[in-house]
Amino acid sequence: MEIKGNDLEKLRLDHKKIENRNIFKFRILTVMTIIIFFGLWQFVADQGIVDSRTLPSPAKIYETFLAKLTKKAPDGNLLSANILASLQVSLFGFFSAVIIGVPLGLLMGWYKILDKTLTPIFEIIRPIPPIAWIPIVVVWMGVGLSAKVLIIFFSAFVPCVINSYTGIQLTNKTFINVSQTFGASNFTTFIKVGIPSSLPMVMTGIKIALGNSWSTLVAAEMLAASAGLGFMIQMGRQFARADVVVLGMVLIGVLGAILSFLFSSLEKYLLRWK
Amino acid sequence: MEQFKKKNLIYQILPLVSVSALILSWIAFSLATGGIIFPGPASVVRRILKTFETPIAGMTIIGHTLISLKRVLTGLFISCVSGISIGILVGSNRYLKATLGSFLEIFRPIPPIAWIPIMIMWFGIGELPKILLIVLGSFFPVMLNTASGISLVNKINLDVGQIFGGSKISILKEIVLPTALPSIFSGIRTSVSCGWTVVLAAEMMGAQQGLGLLVMKGWGINDMALVLGAVIIIAFIGAMFSYLLKRAERLLMPWNR
Repeated sequence: MEIKGNDLEKLRLDHKKIENRNIFKFRILTVMTIIIFFGLWQFVADQGIVDSRTLPSPAKIYETFLAKLTKKAPDGNLLSANILASLQVSLFGFFSAVIIGVPLGLLMGWYKILDKTLTPIFEIIRPIPPIAWIPIVVVWMGVGLSAKVLIIFFSAFVPCVINSYTGIQLTNKTFINVSQTFGASNFTTFIKVGIPSSLPMVMTGIKIALGNSWSTLVAAEMLAASAGLGFMIQMGRQFARADVVVLGMVLIGVLGAILSFLFSSLEKYLLRWK
Repeated sequence: MEQFKKKNLIYQILPLVSVSALILSWIAFSLATGGIIFPGPASVVRRILKTFETPIAGMTIIGHTLISLKRVLTGLFISCVSGISIGILVGSNRYLKATLGSFLEIFRPIPPIAWIPIMIMWFGIGELPKILLIVLGSFFPVMLNTASGISLVNKINLDVGQIFGGSKISILKEIVLPTALPSIFSGIRTSVSCGWTVVLAAEMMGAQQGLGLLVMKGWGINDMALVLGAVIIIAFIGAMFSYLLKRAERLLMPWNR
């Protein structure tokens, strides 16, 4: 059988149509799954299958959300104050980690002297989980903003350094040779060839750092704080208010997802030349 | 050549110099601050040795370490088994991806540590909530990396397998898993470090044994030598984990570098 060009074209279009229909179908399935999940949760809580004091229904959590906008109980802060406190701490720690960690990693990856001196120290400090720093930092600096920022800093610093370090070491040797053949100094090569080629890895590192700084924040605030979402969760637990605890968890999840979405858009914009 | 040799020698000495500088500055810092809020290496070692004579919470430091290790390994085992199998299902079937995958996706943005208070409200501070928390913290990296590794499999290779009469299981074993293995392994590596962090956090927020408890106990009675000792053991075990994984990776996937 002979297949003509326009037959092939028709086959391709048919295939595309089926594919589009499939995408639509799977999107509906996704939405339905989520609706069923929340419906079941509401049902289970309404019917008293589980104790509503330990698992509040989605409707109850929404109510608590609205109430927390204007009421300070039980943790003594408005919801907006808690959110702002958390954002402030995590973004402070995140940005200082990026500002210090990325250049440090790049320099360590490019200059062998720095590699040999700083990498061993970094390798010693790296395996300490950021959470384990909490008592040490709190004893040093109390429970103020700077202590929490420092803990977040530790969690975000490591991926920034590692990814910049690895990223710049993966620079294509040919590019380096070309640039040096044309008479560029080592520093110029570092700026014009090394840094741009390491950018995708650096961005991945920064993205991991952002996620880390948000999830460590909760730990830092649960152990030592007077405001913030983690603090609100901890107070909710002490007053046996499961609705406040779950509300805090949901907000942390939603805000974390928003932050990582914003960063991914920024990444796509910055790396559009790729 | 002579110059080259000299340079190499410097590069070999430099790491030693910087590590000794780190230890010296630790000692200097502890002397400068009076040794209480930041004890020096000698008092940390002495404190650790003392736990063998006077156990804490009825256990030597080795007992606490083993308890933490047992928790994290149990949790990691559950995560790896369930994460790889669910990852295979979600990565190879679009219906499962749209249902099971999106159901799990609801929970992913919530950091595992944020689960700790509600887990304590639900299950107390026994073993079950800790294992659950470790699973929550280490399941997603394995599952997502397995799913994305599976989707990397070249369609042509699958077709070849089918044409040569391979069954679904043998295609999975011979073609799909080897392709996805590097990705699965990097998921496991992330899981291990997440799991190790989570078990500490869980122990710090409520436990009767474990390294996290030692940290909290030391903090509570202002015994910073105990805190630092526990932190150093924690870091050492974390480093051991990543070293062993690197070795295992080379053993399992010699073709990958």
